[in-house]
This record gives sequence, structure tokens and C-alpha cells, in this order.
Amino acid sequence: MLENKKVITAIAAGVLVVAAIIFLAVESAGGTLDVVGKRSVQSFDVILNAIPDQVSKEDGGKAFALTAPDGSVRFIWTGETAESSRFDVKLQADADPFIQAGLDTGKLPKDYDISDNVITVGVKLNSGSFTGAEESALSAYEGLVKNDRSLINYHTDMDHFGVKLGGGNMFEWAKDLEINVTTKQAQDKDIVFVLSPEPLIAAGVDPQKVEGWLYAPVPVMENGKKVQVNKFLKPFNIK
Amino acid sequence: MENKTLDIRGMTCAACAQRIEKTVKKLPGISQASVNLASEKLFVEYDSSLDLSDIKAAVSRIGYEAAEKTEYSDVTIPIGGMTCAACARRVEKAIGKLEGVESSSVNFATEKATVAYDPRKVRLSAIKAAIEKAGYQALEVNKADAADEDRLRKQKEIKTLWTKFITSAVFSLPLLYIAMAPMISFIRLPFLSAIEPMNYPLAYALTELVLTAPVIGVGYKFYTIGFKALFQRSPNMDSLIAIGTTAAVLYSIYNTFQIAAGHFMAVDALYFESAGVIITLILLGKSLEAVSKGRTSEAIKKLMGLAPKTAVILENGQEKEIPIDEVEIGDVILVKPGDKIPVDGTVTGGHTSIDESMLTGESMPVDKKEGDPVYAASLNTTGVIQFKAEKIGSDTALAQIIKLVEDAQGSKAPIAQMADIVSGYFVPVVCVIALLAGIGWYFGTAGDLKFALTIFISVLVIACPCALGLATPTAIMVGTGKGAENGILIKGGEALETAHKINTIVFDKTGTITEGKPKVTDVLPAGSILKDRLLQLTASAERGSEHPLGQAIVLGAKESGLTLLEAEQFDSLTGRGIKARLEGEDILAGNRKLMDEQNISLAGMEEISDRLAEEGKTPMYVAINGELAGIVAVADVVKESSRAAIERLHKMGIEVAMITGDNKKTAAAIAKQVGIDRVLAEVLPQDKSNEVKKLQSENRKVAMVGDGINDAPALAQADIGIAIGSGTDVAMESADIVLMRSDLMDVPAAIDLSKHTIRNIKQNLFWAFGYNVIGIPIAAGMLHLLFNGPLLNPMFAAAAMSLSSVSVLTNALRLKRFKPDTGKR
Repeated sequence: MLENKKVITAIAAGVLVVAAIIFLAVESAGGTLDVVGKRSVQSFDVILNAIPDQVSKEDGGKAFALTAPDGSVRFIWTGETAESSRFDVKLQADADPFIQAGLDTGKLPKDYDISDNVITVGVKLNSGSFTGAEESALSAYEGLVKNDRSLINYHTDMDHFGVKLGGGNMFEWAKDLEINVTTKQAQDKDIVFVLSPEPLIAAGVDPQKVEGWLYAPVPVMENGKKVQVNKFLKPFNIK
Repeated sequence: MENKTLDIRGMTCAACAQRIEKTVKKLPGISQASVNLASEKLFVEYDSSLDLSDIKAAVSRIGYEAAEKTEYSDVTIPIGGMTCAACARRVEKAIGKLEGVESSSVNFATEKATVAYDPRKVRLSAIKAAIEKAGYQALEVNKADAADEDRLRKQKEIKTLWTKFITSAVFSLPLLYIAMAPMISFIRLPFLSAIEPMNYPLAYALTELVLTAPVIGVGYKFYTIGFKALFQRSPNMDSLIAIGTTAAVLYSIYNTFQIAAGHFMAVDALYFESAGVIITLILLGKSLEAVSKGRTSEAIKKLMGLAPKTAVILENGQEKEIPIDEVEIGDVILVKPGDKIPVDGTVTGGHTSIDESMLTGESMPVDKKEGDPVYAASLNTTGVIQFKAEKIGSDTALAQIIKLVEDAQGSKAPIAQMADIVSGYFVPVVCVIALLAGIGWYFGTAGDLKFALTIFISVLVIACPCALGLATPTAIMVGTGKGAENGILIKGGEALETAHKINTIVFDKTGTITEGKPKVTDVLPAGSILKDRLLQLTASAERGSEHPLGQAIVLGAKESGLTLLEAEQFDSLTGRGIKARLEGEDILAGNRKLMDEQNISLAGMEEISDRLAEEGKTPMYVAINGELAGIVAVADVVKESSRAAIERLHKMGIEVAMITGDNKKTAAAIAKQVGIDRVLAEVLPQDKSNEVKKLQSENRKVAMVGDGINDAPALAQADIGIAIGSGTDVAMESADIVLMRSDLMDVPAAIDLSKHTIRNIKQNLFWAFGYNVIGIPIAAGMLHLLFNGPLLNPMFAAAAMSLSSVSVLTNALRLKRFKPDTGKR
């Protein structure tokens, strides 16, 4: 009987310890288990506040855009999903540098949009992602995190959060504008527009000749293994 | 000096055993202390200045439990006549007052008394008498014996360990999966996206924590025992596991909070799965160990289970079946065909054949008639006999054999003592190596704590000397048990270790190489005396002699129908013969030495005497009133197995000598018959040990084989004394090895068993140490440092350690397959 009591007491103590650790960990993460999602919202807010002039409303106020400081590329995310729109979250880039480098726009894949000399890549969100129109750029992003969490990821080597735009295309921003905690170096790539090179190269682009875009290998995790993948990058240090 | 055996609980490895030994040896009054990890016993010899409770207290102070090894029996006695709880209290008190009663508890509701008592101090009949005296009835008893209790306890221990292992595995397998699956690049394994480590690192970490907690819970003993030993500055195997896994878990919890604080790459520095899998694998090793340990002690359990539980006594002509504990010396016991003999005694009526194979290994049943001894646990085959109980309880031959085997299993071979000394220092040294390696790599990698911690944990885990403490005792247990099964009782680990080094064996002649039942072959009068008269006088003179040759002459005369005369005087002249006075005549009978001393001429009979000696016969000269009267020749037949046994010993590279008081020619003839290399003849009994010493001075390891009674000094002088064909107290006392049968083939079998056992011990030590020796440098990063080679993952280290224990035990169990080469067995 005494032995059973001891066992029960020990188990109860163990459960309490584990519960306490879980509670404290979740609390220190801001009351959520999705620490990546939460921190991405916080850091996105920092970005938006760092370059307010680069943030604008789009699509009659239904969407928001963050334009690169040189104006050549934009990241657009919706605050209200609509059946009619082809992409709810997208990257729009000036097609000229690619055309100059040999792009045959007719050879772009079907999921690439080309019109008015602008290449657009993106994804459609889950239907019903928003119950109403989001009033602010941040709240629209928050809605994205809440309802389409699979689009958000964390890039360890760059210490960046990112929104996946399909086909290897992404928009990334720094978790911390000051320091890359992975490399422990100063963060010099606060926002990065990322385009997948393969469809463009297949459409005739010579990657070494694209003006304004960096063609470089980027370390990414693929099936648990770190691999170097070439990307077209347009990084900006905004602070 | 007192000798005691205590059961020790709480030991987990050789370091524990070493620690207990050291602690006990420090007590004043202790002469010897030896701990056997495999059988969990402490054997201690101490003087009267010390009390057993002091020894138990000393063991308890360092965190272990010592219980007096008693042959406590548990019995449940139904009680009649109780009417209330007060009656129950009264019965309890009455039983409790008896010396030898450990505990008694009377339950009024069930009307039963549960009593634990030492049958050596108090009999069941006395307990029942106390109940009757208190005014109640002691009804039919229900008894469990100590062997069953021990078996049940061991089974419970095994079940507990398996339950812990399975519980641990149930949680650590998914833990391992979620830790490894994201890292496997060549195949995409299914994985819950909600805990994907890169996207949901906190959920991932907490899931691992939740799965690890129950594993730590079932492995709690590693921490309670391990840290306790560490704080008492005597770290053991559990300390290594406790430190390693605690470091892994605490570091992982720290990194969990780092993740919560936004340092997501801390997800790569989680070690929950290492801790979980280490505990699981070590539990697996422990479970397999417990099962194997149970099997290594099967021989003892088999012996313990041989004795029957009841006996049929004849009381006033009536048969009465009683528990074996109630048999008293002098009881007449009835044994029917198919029954086991319950105690030792002497046949008083009837005749039968008894199968004594479970005691001696001899497969042929032995005929028994009135006056013949019978032994407990032997099997009555054909007839009905009655016998008088002479030795009961712990005095029976069976009990002595069990005790001998138990003591042998508990004793330390020198090689085991060396292993214990090493293991005592091993754990602290490993802790230092782990610390140095961890710190070295921390600074060497410019502060990579994760790398340094992996090294630290791996060294601790791979260096666990779990198997080291089992390497020797398991082999000795199996080896001595195997010997006991074949009638070869080896009295200790030291005897086992020395026996395999023997290169010379000295056999006593009479009763060892020969049957020991000499017969009269020739009666040759010298002068006018008649043959029968010569034999009659010689036999009458030899009546007082205990010498086999003298007794053969007496038997020869009786067989010839001669009446023996009363001797007026008798003197035994050791090593020479006898002197007696019969019907006014002085009779001398003995060897040539005696005749020369007494100046009796052997003229006319010397040639005859030489001829007889060359035929292997022993001529006994007989002189009457100072004149040679004739020769009575006696011959002892060589045992069937003698030649074969000596041939076998030669094949083993052992030189064989024969020692005898017999004359040189007779000795040489016998020696030639059986193939003896060296003959030591005409040796007086008191000089036998000197002959052994002379051989030892030639730098030889000498074994002496004799019957133990008059060979005691030579047996003691020899490096190994082997008593043959006797289970008596004297033989068991003086010899290192006791052979239950008279078959000389058991001698090479015993040496062979010793060689196999020592070889097995060495193999076990290799398996035990090999993993550590190879693993520690790899775990410490030496290959990585020198050749950029591989490191040792802590989980692989744990697997290797479990494999090490399993290897040692499996190898020890191989010894069970040993079959002695005994020729015709």
C-alpha cells in the first residue's frame, strides 16, 4: 500500500514538473506554441514600420504591397480573398532585366503571369481565409499566418522568415534587423525577394546577365538535408 | 571465527560490489569479506568482537541492504479453536516467543498463522506444540520453502524489469522516430506537420519532452542509486547513466526555453531522444541480464529442488506422512519404489536399488541392504526399505553439497579480484576522461557546447562497466554448477583458477588407482607350517589393523572358513606392518623394512617375493617368534578407468606420478599397467606431503588425488587437492575438489572443466572490457581529431553497452554445453 502511494506521489510530482516546464515555455513564447508564426508577425511589423513609405494599399484597399526601395519588385498580400483574383499572395517583378537577359515570355510556365512587362508569381489562399476585409497591412499578414500557416517558414541560415509563393519563389525578411543570430554577424539582408531561376532559365534567361538580380547559391533544408540551391535574389538592407 | 552469508540488495555493477567489500573489510574484526555480484551475496568471516548487525549497518550506510541469509521457511498453519482477536494475539505471542521464529502473524478472520522461521533453530513440531500449549489446535500445514521464495522473488524482479523496458520502449520509439525522421534525407518518412521542427520548433521540443518524461520515470533507479553513490564519492555504473542522461535532459530543457525565446536553431541542440533511448537500451540489457542470471544459477536451484518435501515415518507400526522438517534423528522412515529418500541414514530393513545419479552423477543404481547408507534426494527404484534417519536438514550430504557449491560460487578467483579492483577505479577515471574530453572539445571548437556535450555523454555511456562485474562470477556459477551436475564439486574460484594450471598429478595408489579392495592371492608357507595355519595366524594378528591389506587378509581367512583367534596384544607399526601376540606366539606381519629392522632373514623367499612383486602383488612377510613363517600375497585390482584417465591426462600434457607405501617392485608393476610416469614408492604416510613438496620445488603445479582421509597433509600441501569417491566431511574439508564418484576419469574431467571455465572467464573479460577499450577513445573524439573520423552517437554507445552485457552472459551460458570426456559415460 505504502509502495503504491510512493509510486503515485512520484508520478504526480513528475507530471507536475513536466506541466510546469510546458507552461513556462509556452508563456515565454508569448502564450503560443507557434513561436515561429508569432515571431514572424512581430518581425514583419518591424519591417513595415522601418519602411512605411514602401508600404501601400492595393487592389482597391483589399490588398497591401511592400515595394522594394528601387521599385523593381513588390511583395503583395491580400487582406480579403476573392474568387476572381488569380493570386492572393504574390511577387511582382519588372520583366525587363530578364527580357534583356534572353527571356522569351512565351516560354514561361502557365503559373507565371506576364503582363505589362511585369512577371507575377504567387499562390491562392484557402477559401474563407478572411471573414472580412483586413484594415491594416499587419492584420492582413496576421490573417495569413493564422489561416495559411503552411506558407510561412523560417530560414535558419539567413535567420529570415519567409512567405512561400510557390515554385521556390519567396519573400523573406530578417527576424532581427541588427544581427543574424545563426552566423552571429550583422544582418545585411533585411528583406529579400527570391525568384526560382529554373523556369526563367528554361524560358531563355542567361542567369549571369540579369541586371539587378543576384544569381547565387542559397543553403536550404531539403528533406532534412542542407543543400545549396541557386536563386535569383534581390536583397535590401533597410536599416 | 564466524562465517556468514548475507543477501545483498541494491547492487547494480562491479563498482557496487567492490565498494561493499571495501567498506566491510575496514570493520575491525573482519578477517575476510567477499561479494558476489551475480548471486548478490556477501560472504564474511569475522571474530567475536564484531556483531552481524554492525556489518549490516555498515552496508546499509553506503546505500545497500544486507539481509541475513537464513534458511527461513514460511509456513501457513491453520488454527482451530480461536474465538476472537484476543485469541489470535495469544497465539501470535506464543509462537513469537520461540527462538528461531523471525515473524509470526495470526489472522483471526482467516484463522491462519503465517510464520517465518529458521528450521535450524526451531522445528515445525515445536511451533505446533506452542500453539497447542496456548490452548488451540494446529491443523494441517501449508509450507513454502526458501528455494520457491527465492525463485518467486527472482521472477518478480525479471517481470518488473521487462515491464519497465517495455514501458520505456513504448515512449522512446516514437521519440526516436520524431528525432530521426526529419534528418533522413534519402527517404521522406511520414511526419506530423504540426511538430515539424523547422516550422514548429517549440511544439517539437515539448513533444519530445513529454515522451521522455515517462522513460526517465521508469528509469528512476539509475538516478536515485547513481547520484547517491556519486555524492558518497563512490560513483558506479548508475552514476554514469544518471550524469549522462541528466546532462542531456537539462541541456534540452534549456534549449526548449531558448526556442521559446526566439532562438529557433536551438531545435538542433535537443538531446531528449538520446536520454530516452539510453535508458531504454540499458533497461533492455538489465532485463536480459536478470533472465540470464537466473539461468546461470540453475544448477543450485536444481540441487535445492531435489529433496522431497515429505517423509513417511513408522510410528508404532503405523505409517505417517510428515513434512520433511519434522523428521528427527532416529526416526524409522519407510521408502517405497519410486519415492525419493528424504534424509541421510542407514538401511534397517529390506533391500533395493537406489539411483544416486543426481548426487554423484553415477548412472547405475546402487544395491542397498541392511547396514548400507542412503542419502537424501536419491531415488528408490525397485524395493521397499526402512532406514533410520541419521542426518537431517543441513547435515545431509545434499545440504553439504549445496553449501559447498554455493560457497564456491561466492568465492573469488584471483582473476575476479583483479577485475573488481579495476572496476573500482574505472568509474571515477571515466568521469574524469568524460569531463576532460568535453572541456577539451568545447575550447577546441571555439565554444560549440552541443559538440562538447555529445562527447561528454558518449564517453560516460560507452564506458559503463556493467558487464565487468558479471564476467567472472557468471562463468564460475555456470562452471561450478556444471561440475556439480557431473559429481565434480569445486570448492572455490581459486581452486578453479589453479586447477587449469596443473602440470603434474600425483595419485595415491590404494583406493585411487586401484579398487582399494585387495584380495589374498597367494599363501606361501616358508617352513613346515600349514597354509591354513599361516593364513589363520596372520589374519588373527591383522584383525586389529585398519590397513586395507590387513583387512584383505582377514577377509581372505574368513572366506576360507578359518576361525580367527583373539590377539592378546596388538601394535600397528606405521609404514611397516603389525606386531601381535597370539596363543603365546609373537607374530610379525609386514613389509621387508619390518623384517630387516627385526633382523629376520628372508632367505629362501626373496626370489618368490620378487616374483610376486613383479606380478603387481604386495607380499606380506609373516614371522613367528622371530623366524620367517611365510608370505601372504595380496593384490589390489586396478580400476577399469585408471589407464584411460592417465592416457587422457597425458594428452592434456600433464605428467602423472603415483605415491604409495607399497614396495618399489609392486608399485612399478602397477605403474606399468596404467602408464604412470613417475613412481614414488615405499613412502611413509607422514612423508607423502614432502614428496609433493619436492615436486613443487621443481617449479611444478601439483595436484594430489587421494581418498582424503589419510592423505590430508598431502592434499593440503598440493596446489590442488582432489578427494575421490567420497562425500564425507573430512574429504570436503581437506580437498579443493571433491569427486563424488570413484571413477578416475573425473580427474581429467575436473581439470578440463577448470580449463574451459577459465577460458570462458577470459573471453567474458574481453567482451566486457573490449567495448570500453575500443569505445572510449572513439567516444572521446580521437578518431575525429586524428583522422577526421566518426564520432560515437550516445544512442549507439548505449546499444553497445547493452550488447556488452548480453555478450558476457551469453558467452557464460555457453559453458552449459560443456560435456566432460569421461570415456564410458
